[in-house]
Amino acid sequence: MSTLPAIDRSSRFKTMRREVGRALGALVIALLVAFVVVLLTSKAPFEALNVLLTQPLSRPRTIGLWIDDIAKLTVTGLAFSLVFQARQFAMGVQGQVYIGALAATYVALSPLGASWAGIPLGIAAAMLAGAFYGFIPGIAKAKLGANEIVSSLMLNYIAIELCNYLVRANLPKPQAGVLTTNDFPDSAVFPTLVANTRIDLSIIFALVAVVLVWFALYRTSWGLKLRLVGHNARFAEYSGIKATFIMVSAMTASGALGGLLGSMFVQGQTYGKLTVLFEGGLAFEGILVAIVARSRPLAVPIVAIFYAYLRQGAQLMNIRTDVPAEVIGIVTAIIILLVSSSYSLNFITRLFRRGPAASAAPAAAGGAAK
Amino acid sequence: MMELFLTVFSAAFFVTVIRTTTPLLLATLGGLIADLGGALNVALEGMMLIGCLTAVIVSVYAPWYVAVLAGLGAGALLGLIMAFFAFRLKADIILVGFAINILAAGGTVFALALATGGDKGTSINLQSKAIPAVDLSFLSGIPVVGPTLSAFLSGHSVLSWLAAILVFAVWYFLYRTPWGLWLRGVGEYPAAPEAAGIPVNKIRTWSLIVSGALAGLGGAQLAMFNYVGFTRDMTAGRGFIALGAVLLGARHPVGALLAALLFGAFEALAVVMPGLFNDIPAELIRAIPFVVTIAALVLFSIRAQRALALRGVK
Amino acid sequence: MALLEAIGIGKTYPGGVVANDGVNLVIEPGEVHAVVGENGAGKSTLMKILFGIEQPNAGTLLLDGKPVKFANPREAIDAGIGMVFQHFSLVPSFSVYENVVLGSEPKAGIRLDRHKAIAEVEALSEKFRLKVDPLPPVRTLPVGQQQRVEILKALYRNARILILDEPTAVLAPQEVQELFVAIRSLVAQGKTVIFIAHKLPEVLEISDSITVMRQGKTVGQVKTREVTEKSLAAMMVGREVSLRVERKATDQSERVAAVTGLRVVNARGTEVVAGLDLNVHAGEIVGLVGVEGNGQAETLEAITGLRSIAGGDIQVAGRNVSSMSVLERRGLGLASIPEDRIAEGLATGASVAENLVATRLNDPRYVRSGLLDLKAIRANAQKLIERFSIRVGGPSSAVGTLSGGNMQKVVVARELSEQPKLLLVNQPTRGVDLGATQFIWRTITDARDAGAAVLLSSADLSELLALSDRLIVLYRGKIVAAFINQPDLSPETLGAYMLGLSTQTSEEMQVALK
Repeated sequence: MSTLPAIDRSSRFKTMRREVGRALGALVIALLVAFVVVLLTSKAPFEALNVLLTQPLSRPRTIGLWIDDIAKLTVTGLAFSLVFQARQFAMGVQGQVYIGALAATYVALSPLGASWAGIPLGIAAAMLAGAFYGFIPGIAKAKLGANEIVSSLMLNYIAIELCNYLVRANLPKPQAGVLTTNDFPDSAVFPTLVANTRIDLSIIFALVAVVLVWFALYRTSWGLKLRLVGHNARFAEYSGIKATFIMVSAMTASGALGGLLGSMFVQGQTYGKLTVLFEGGLAFEGILVAIVARSRPLAVPIVAIFYAYLRQGAQLMNIRTDVPAEVIGIVTAIIILLVSSSYSLNFITRLFRRGPAASAAPAAAGGAAK
Repeated sequence: MMELFLTVFSAAFFVTVIRTTTPLLLATLGGLIADLGGALNVALEGMMLIGCLTAVIVSVYAPWYVAVLAGLGAGALLGLIMAFFAFRLKADIILVGFAINILAAGGTVFALALATGGDKGTSINLQSKAIPAVDLSFLSGIPVVGPTLSAFLSGHSVLSWLAAILVFAVWYFLYRTPWGLWLRGVGEYPAAPEAAGIPVNKIRTWSLIVSGALAGLGGAQLAMFNYVGFTRDMTAGRGFIALGAVLLGARHPVGALLAALLFGAFEALAVVMPGLFNDIPAELIRAIPFVVTIAALVLFSIRAQRALALRGVK
Repeated sequence: MALLEAIGIGKTYPGGVVANDGVNLVIEPGEVHAVVGENGAGKSTLMKILFGIEQPNAGTLLLDGKPVKFANPREAIDAGIGMVFQHFSLVPSFSVYENVVLGSEPKAGIRLDRHKAIAEVEALSEKFRLKVDPLPPVRTLPVGQQQRVEILKALYRNARILILDEPTAVLAPQEVQELFVAIRSLVAQGKTVIFIAHKLPEVLEISDSITVMRQGKTVGQVKTREVTEKSLAAMMVGREVSLRVERKATDQSERVAAVTGLRVVNARGTEVVAGLDLNVHAGEIVGLVGVEGNGQAETLEAITGLRSIAGGDIQVAGRNVSSMSVLERRGLGLASIPEDRIAEGLATGASVAENLVATRLNDPRYVRSGLLDLKAIRANAQKLIERFSIRVGGPSSAVGTLSGGNMQKVVVARELSEQPKLLLVNQPTRGVDLGATQFIWRTITDARDAGAAVLLSSADLSELLALSDRLIVLYRGKIVAAFINQPDLSPETLGAYMLGLSTQTSEEMQVALK
């Protein structure tokens, strides 16, 4: 009897080790590919690689940028994890970020923004707006069966265009023609935690969000229901769980996180105002974070630490060498492809060994078809 | 209002609509082929974008038609990659699609910087070529209708004419050839073609390759006719609009044509309207296709539900 | 010489389930050969082997006296074997002729030669008397015509041997007669038909020879004219004395479940439960007897709340539950062991502890103000793992890592961890080894002895006879007979009613329908 829990724990440990191994393997493969690309294209490839891998730690300022990225990637990773755990492919985090940012901006630029309420109200407004924006594809799917992938993608673009319009035509601007709003009053901007860096309240919010999402998923009955729906929706219905309600609420909660991220963008030290297209594609990188973390909230910040480091390294490489930062897109794509597929480290060797045999099989089938 | 009326019914506006429609239509046909084969191709956006850049870069060194083929080939290659990961390595096809979109968003900027020696936003320093327009001005020689005919039909991209032919070709392929039958069978009920000895995964792979090729072709049109040159994220959601157009067009090539025309017209309006009316914001007009797509999605879902209800299923 | 011969075929599935064990089959050219046996006797597996879907672990297949091996259906098709499954392989939106030619289309250039395809389909349907219009989409056709399309598909591919897997199961009586006309015309034109069935009158009517299977083995092969329904039924069911489980005398006065006039309509719009009246009392097990698909599963689902009802009333513990949610019904003391544990009874990716508590997420012992009491959930799992001797690493192991029998024990443990008022059970021991079967039987009987009302459905007659106090036979969604279970009640008696050969008068039924 006493050995049972030990076996239990050791098997869990084994799965975890395998997952970590797969993720690290994917990272190494992706970096190798990126390195080959750099090697082929850069005049000083080793210098570039050196910057990529070591420079984010070189100065307090760069460390600050890194930590700011960790915070943002953590939140988008959590948002995707929530819907992925319920087995919904809602892709609406980007739209929620813009809508949330807009809501936060209206609060920050209102008289309330100049008071103590600027930060809490801004965040609350952003989260509410994001939640509403996450709710729409959820309810459309639950009530009508409308594909949540397509509807959430469309909502992303609607949010971006809405943001573009409001910034250009509605929100107060320092001068005509610029596509950014007035700076928020100090009372509506997250205070820095370490002077002269971008490290602000965002990282605290991100960590609180990690704990909250973990708690919600693993310590509340709502979370257990959500995970059961994700594992097997039919079983959930059989057990008396209202699967559609869970799906909608998961997408709504995820939307609130997206909204929070919007507020972190505009109310954070980086901007302190609303600019068009401020998000720069970061929201979608939450897919990578969530997938590599296997949608586990506690693993999300760990993955975010690694990934944010790469992102910052790439930015610095961009500034200091001839290699553009966007090379990181290749790394991201390869990691998603590998981690989400059935690849395993020994699969690669099998793939090459099986190559000729596999190509012979369809030919045989084709022959039989005649 | 009169002004708008005159604009919308002018030949110039018609030519603009055809121009804005063409890349969308090509991508929509690509989305349609994948959709009928049973895969939601969310990577259309990335495939188009990579098609754009490939075409632009190749056009610097080669004739325009080689560049167009290169754009097409790039899309097809991405389709093959997608199929490999989704069918051979059993990855979720939606995630694979987004990986390709992310690869495209970053990869194009990276590759552009390499090609231009450091420019990251645009290819303004590259001498890229354009796809020639088909000049039919000789039609104006025809009495009475000649000038009108010439004004409406002349000046379209070669690819616009090709896209129009492709609508018919795709329709013919889908509904008149055995392979079209196989593809639709695989998408609707794979067990049936499987039992008939049809290689289901091979069909699916080909559908993604063709889907990518069409999206790449749309990219070539976008970057070598609508605009000449590459700008980062220049597809601006057209790949996703194409996904919506597939649904709005009721999964039929002619429907795809109509849906693409509708969305193309909105895009053209967004170009001309702000010049006419200062109070109608271009951003909101640009958002219309996305709103229409959601409306179409909801409408079709309601219809599907009602059909089920008619059969007595709750 | 036999056309097709199977010698000593053995098939064991990866899970350890032995589906075929030393099966022999001899098919003569130009005959209709029936393969009969109860559900789970191994008929379907044998047919899948003949058609190349499954590969045998032992034995040989001879076609025209030469050994053959089919790696996939394509090879079987090319060898002249065609198969019509119970679940048709037709693309719903395709027209009849498109479905028939799919995969081997006549071409004119690159075009599908539509006229030739239609003409060929018409010619085939004329020749073999399988009347069907080639143009409409198959989804608009009645089931009987869809089946003809499937047969045409096989004939279009030049099948010499046609395997029909329970073809009459989905057909109305007139359609059955039409099918038989077609089969006779097929045989008259030199085709050979293998006919899988468990409805004996049909088998006797259409076949020339019969192979009987039981528990994965062939019991024997006979000429149809030499057997009667009775002797055939005896061969099918076997003579072994079935296990009877010890049952205590219980107080059966309280009526726990009362179903009146229940009607259920399925997705196709067919009425699958047609006005059912049924009571289940505390302390008794009521067995629902019937060939699969005669409304048993739908009745159970309707009572659980998983299927909406088209008419009638369901009362549990004196309350009308017809409009209650699954959870509310469970709150009244309803528990249910579903037919397909992996698809419906478990979340295989979640842990054992989570699965064991999934139906009690509004129980204050495990959930208070929305928060999980992990200690209690874990303790509950520990307790149930021991009580039901589930072999598992521990409460947090994923259910997917367990064997079939242990997975089923998890389901049973969850549903019976607390004494239910009403227990619904569907196929409790399908694909479960003997040891686990005994254990599950004991558990269900214990629940009954402690006062639960149990409604049991099973494809296994010996299970029903071993466990039930009363037996109710369903045929096409209606009750055709009811019995009080006594030692002299034989499977043959039940079989006659299951197969629709006879119906009790309402007076006869009343005795056992309290």
